[in-house]
Order: sequence, then structure tokens, then C-alpha cells
Amino acid sequence: MTLTGLAIRNLARNRFRVILTTAGVAIAIIAFLLLRTVSWSWGAAGEYSAKDRVVTRHKVTFVMSMPKRYVADVRGAPHVKLATWANWFGGKDPKHDHEFFGALAVDADTYFDVYTEMSVPREQLDTFHHDKQGAIVGDVLAKKLGWKVGDRIILQSGIYPGDWQFNVDGIYVATAKSVDRSTFVFHWDYLNDSLPPDRRDQVGWIVSRVDEPARSAEIGLGLDALFDSRETPTLSQDEHSFQTSFLAMFSSVLKAMDIVSAVILVIMMLILGNTIAMGTRERTGEYGVLRAIGFLPGHVVLWVVGESLATGILGGLVGAAIAWPLINLLLGRVIEENMGNVFPYFHLEPVVVALAVGLSALLGGAAAGIPAWNASRMHVVDAVRRIA
Amino acid sequence: MIPLRYNVRSLAVRKATTIATAGGVGLVVFVLASSLMLSAGIRKTLGTAGRPENAIVLRMGSDAELGSVVEDSSVPLVLAAPGVRVDEKGHPIASAEIVVVGAMEKLGAKGVTNVSIRGVPDNVMAFRPEVHIVTGRPPRPGSDEAIVGARIRGRIRGLDLGQSFDLKKNRPVTVVGIFEAEGSSYESEVWVDRELLGQAYNRMGIVSSVRVRLDSPSKFDAFRAGVENDKRLGLQAVRETTFYEKQSEGAAKFIGILGTIVSIFFAAGAMIGAMITMYAAVANRQREIGTLRALGFSRSSVLTSFLLEAVILSVIGGGLGAALSMAMGLVHFSMINFASWSEIVFSFDPTPYVIAMALSFALGMGLIGGLLPAIRAARTSPLKAIRG
Repeated sequence: MTLTGLAIRNLARNRFRVILTTAGVAIAIIAFLLLRTVSWSWGAAGEYSAKDRVVTRHKVTFVMSMPKRYVADVRGAPHVKLATWANWFGGKDPKHDHEFFGALAVDADTYFDVYTEMSVPREQLDTFHHDKQGAIVGDVLAKKLGWKVGDRIILQSGIYPGDWQFNVDGIYVATAKSVDRSTFVFHWDYLNDSLPPDRRDQVGWIVSRVDEPARSAEIGLGLDALFDSRETPTLSQDEHSFQTSFLAMFSSVLKAMDIVSAVILVIMMLILGNTIAMGTRERTGEYGVLRAIGFLPGHVVLWVVGESLATGILGGLVGAAIAWPLINLLLGRVIEENMGNVFPYFHLEPVVVALAVGLSALLGGAAAGIPAWNASRMHVVDAVRRIA
Repeated sequence: MIPLRYNVRSLAVRKATTIATAGGVGLVVFVLASSLMLSAGIRKTLGTAGRPENAIVLRMGSDAELGSVVEDSSVPLVLAAPGVRVDEKGHPIASAEIVVVGAMEKLGAKGVTNVSIRGVPDNVMAFRPEVHIVTGRPPRPGSDEAIVGARIRGRIRGLDLGQSFDLKKNRPVTVVGIFEAEGSSYESEVWVDRELLGQAYNRMGIVSSVRVRLDSPSKFDAFRAGVENDKRLGLQAVRETTFYEKQSEGAAKFIGILGTIVSIFFAAGAMIGAMITMYAAVANRQREIGTLRALGFSRSSVLTSFLLEAVILSVIGGGLGAALSMAMGLVHFSMINFASWSEIVFSFDPTPYVIAMALSFALGMGLIGGLLPAIRAARTSPLKAIRG
């Protein structure tokens, strides 16, 4: 029998304890993976956002709008291929008062050319273009509120009073991970024409596609320079930085989650280390005998560390095997449907799983440090004499 | 009854194992207590801003002041509604305010964040007696001067005594005072003159909300009927307490749910840790248990004894974790509030409820983790055990 073989066979000596320890490690790994997925998918919207899109908004605050003439200026600017605009409508279905979703009044002609990752069937898009009260709805939202193409629905808004009627003309699906599948998009003209004259011709933000994504920061600065001395100064950012600055507002939550995931790894190490320490204490006599017949202290270290490593890996694999279907099939679907605006893509990435299993092996090895050191340093005579 | 000293000494003999297990429980309790404290802090911050005898009037359908618009011409009608308290000169005690958010640069962290800016009338302190200046002086009426909440002071560029920030391009405002407001969310706001803010943000002729003091909390229904029956106004009245409860709902729920899920996982892990330790304790002390039984101690007293040992173990850990979490009282946690889209600084609030919860959680973990091992101990046959 090889030395490593012996280390692993030692695991089978106290099966019940190994099962408990594996369960403990597995639970820690599941919690770790869950937390990592939360913080990873939070950033996913920024990570997967298009780098060639520049968003221009009011410099001081996103609450205020800009004059619509700005769109023409943006379109005329160098490096801008095409541009579209949108207003926040903040709609609510009076029949489903507690369902939150984003409703946007957009330029119907250009919006889906700029947001190509929102894919709408061609004939539905044609209907939408010719229907002033038309709307395109995300597939998740449509399913949740039971809307079908052709339905006539009413929305209310906290910003624009009254009942607003819409026809559901189409349903979009996402072809990128950064897209919220619960957005409601309708004609800006419909909104604008219904407003009192003094509130008309205002846009919330302008989105442009640029020809050189690598220079988008520079192009954004160029756009802001256009409006700097006008009545409303602007702030332009590429979508990636825009998302990043948005995420920065939640940085303490993300930091807290990082700390908590570190804490759970420490707890895991305590459980593992404790188990290993108990195992070595019980086997002190055996180690003494093995040392007496000529095995070296290094061998003892190898057995102890090997056993701990094996337990760590076993627990990590079990945890990953449970977390994978739990997050990807069960939780992910629920979260994407209900919190799609924050977590458009809630999935466990293989890289994260590999990292977790690697960490559990590493921590398994580390947890064995003190017990292995103690066991290897024991004098043969003491070890043989000692009663557990 | 087996003396308690037996358990305490047993724990003291196995120092390393005791420390590891209690440490695991301690970390779990620490995380649980911290998240409960944060939830309590959020509720306190957002909840204490409201008084039962105050009502807030917003546009029909608006949940927050940010999206709400009330025409200046409607304000006298609101103030004339039944139930509004008047001062000795016959003026209604009320405050019509503008609320906007401005993007400001964070200090000590990268990026910008949204700060709530409140435009207040000159006599705002009469309406909010809980607000008082702690350093500096109140702003002169109609001047370009601001006061800043104590919690946000020094966290944002320009928001400290004597510094200035741009309300709008080339419209610097000087900070002349720092105010406190009994820990409420006002302490994360910047207050400026209402006319000044209205000009800078292009909000002339409108306010975001009107707050009134009622003769008594019971007058609310009459006041509400007065405001809402006039359909021309399109306004709604809400009790201030209800309004803030709604505001804190999102953030407190979010932290609460996240904290609970994490705690459940952690607790399962720590419970397994306690179980492993206690099983090992029982296995190592077979002979002792056998002797105790042979001496005449009953099964139930052996069961109680080992259960107590597990409870002592976890309560030591729980006490450590709870004590450690008290240190979080010094930490400030800033987060975007989902209702107002602006940054609010929360603190961890150690209420007696939180401490009681955390300790009983530890107690529960000890009981559940120790039950199975204690049953095994109680079922030890004295003869077999002594023979080994």
C-alpha cells in the first residue's frame, strides 16, 4: 500500500465523522458559491455590457432631462454611428401593484438598432413601428404578468398622471447576459404628444453607438464638450463605466459579501481542522508505532495532510454538485424572473466552481497544519505510551 | 445530577477542540448579529424620520418624493385642509420642499454617488424641532448657503464645514453648518434654500412634497379626505410614519433576507462542527461515561450532562460572537436606498432584541448539535464501556 493510499484509507476508519465533516465542508462551499454568484452576477451587467455604446445624461442628476435637440447634435458628432434616446416612465400595472419593472419611452425607429441584444421578431417589430400605442415587452415580464402579443393593457406612472393604454405588439428575448428581460418599451412620441406643452420635447438619456469602442471615453468627453456651455451640461460614459459607477453605489454591500464569504471559509477550516486534530489525537499511539518501525516525521505529516486534503476535496465536490443544479436550475430562474433588473443573469460559472473546489482543497491542507506539526514532533516513546 | 464542573473541566482539557468549535459558533453568531443590527439600523434611520402627527402630501401614484410634483398653486389648498395645526400667529405648521438627487464625488472611494438635496423653506426648523445645528450656524435665508447632515459630512467632496460644492455649473454653495436629526435619514442629506434649489434645478413653481403637522394623529383621516377629494389636485396624503416604513421596506428586507439565508447556511455548518466535537467527546470518554453509569447516575442525567456541555460550548462561542459584533457599532455602512435612489449612511444598531436573538440562536445550535451525541452517551452500556 502506498503512503497516500494509507492516508485515504484512514478516512474510512470513522465513517460517521467523515460524513459529518464532508457535510460541513459541503454546506460551507454551497454558501460560498451562492455568495460569489450574487456578487458576480451583480457585476455581470457591467461585464457583459457593450463597450461601443456611450450614454449621455444630465450632468448633475439622472432625475432631470435634456432638450430633445441634443439628439441631433449627438448624431452629428464625430465617431457616432447612430444614436437613440429614452425616458424613464416608471410604469406599474394597476392589476399587479407590487410587480416592479422598468418602463421606458423610447425612440421607436432607432432603439432596437442600438440595443441589438434585445431581439424582436421582424414582423412584430414592423407592427410596433406602425402602432403609436404599441409596446415591446421582455419575455420574462410578459410571462409573469400573463401578457400575450395583441393584448391591450393599461399602465400607470408615478411621474406621468393618468391611465396609459398600450398594445403589446411584440416580445423581445435577450441575446446577451447583460439584458434585463423584464423591461417595457413603448413609443416616446406617444408620451410626448400627451404631455402639456411646457413638459414636451425632453429626453432622459441619449445612447449612441460609436465606431471606435477603444476610444469611447474620449468620444464621451467630446460629446460633453458640445453641451458644456449650453443650458444643460451633460455627462457621457460608455456603458461599462456607467454600470461600474452604478455598482460603486452598492460597494459596501459587495464588500460585506466578500467579508462574509471569507468568514465562511474560516468556519470551514475550523470544522476541518477540528476533525483532523481529533483523528490524530486518537491515533497518536499508531503514529508512535509507525515511527518506531522506521517511518520518518515527514511520513506522518503526509498522512495527516493527505487525509485532510482528501476530506476537503470530497466536501468541495459534494458542495459543488449540490450548488450547481440548485443555483442554475432552481434559484437562478426564480431570481432572474423576480429581480431581473438587478440580476439579469444569475448563474454559477464553471470558473467559480473550480475556484471553490480548489479553495476547499487548499484550506483542507492548511487546516491540517497544526495537527500534522504536533503529530510529527512527538517523541516515539511518548506517542506509544500515550493513551488517547 | 452530574456536577457542571465535570463538563467545564472536560472542555478545558480539550482546549484546541473547544476553541475551534466555539470559534465556529462565534463567527456564525457574529455574522447573524451584524446583519440583524444592520437591519435594525436601517429601520431606525428610515423609521425615526416620521412622526405620527405629521402627514406628507405627494402626487397621486408617487411612492417617493423624488418623482412627485406638486404645483405651487396647490400648496395653499393643502394647507387649508381640515386638521392642519396652526401656530399662535395663525400660520399652518407645514413645510413645502423640493427633493432632488445630485451626483457627487465620494471621498476615500472611487466613483460618484447620489446625494439627496432638499430645498427647504426658511422656517423648516419650526416644522422639524428634532433637527439642530451641531457645528457652524444656520444658513441665512435666501443665501447660497447649505447645511449638511452629520452622517454624510466628510464622505463626499465639498460636504464639510467651510467647503463648497457646485449645485449647478458655476453655482457654488458654501456649507455653513452641520446638523443632526436624531439619527434619521435627514442626516444623510444636504439642505439648501428652496428658491435656490428650484432655480438651479429648473423646478420653479413646483415642489416635491408638502408636509403638515396635524392637530392630532386622529385628524389624519379628515385631512386626507380633504386633500384627496379635490380631484383637480391629483394629490394623495400619507401618514409620515407609513411613508417612511415603505421607504425602509426595500433596503431592510434586502439585508434581512440576505442575512437570514447566510445565517442558515452558517448555522448548519457550525451545528455540524458542534456535533463532530461532541461525538468525539462521547467516543473518547466511553470509559468515563460507563463509570458514571456504574456509579448510579441515570441515563437522563448523562443525557442532560452532555447536552449541557454542548450548550456551554456554543454559548461561550455565541457570547464571543455577540461581543465581537458590538464593535460593529463603530462602523458606518453606506448604501443606496432603493426608494430615494440616494446614498444613506446606516449604522449597526445593537438593540437588546438582536443580542437576545443571537444568544438564543447559539443556544439552539448547541442543543441541536449536542442532542444526538448526548443520546449516544446516554445509551452507553456501563459494562461494555468499562471493559473498553
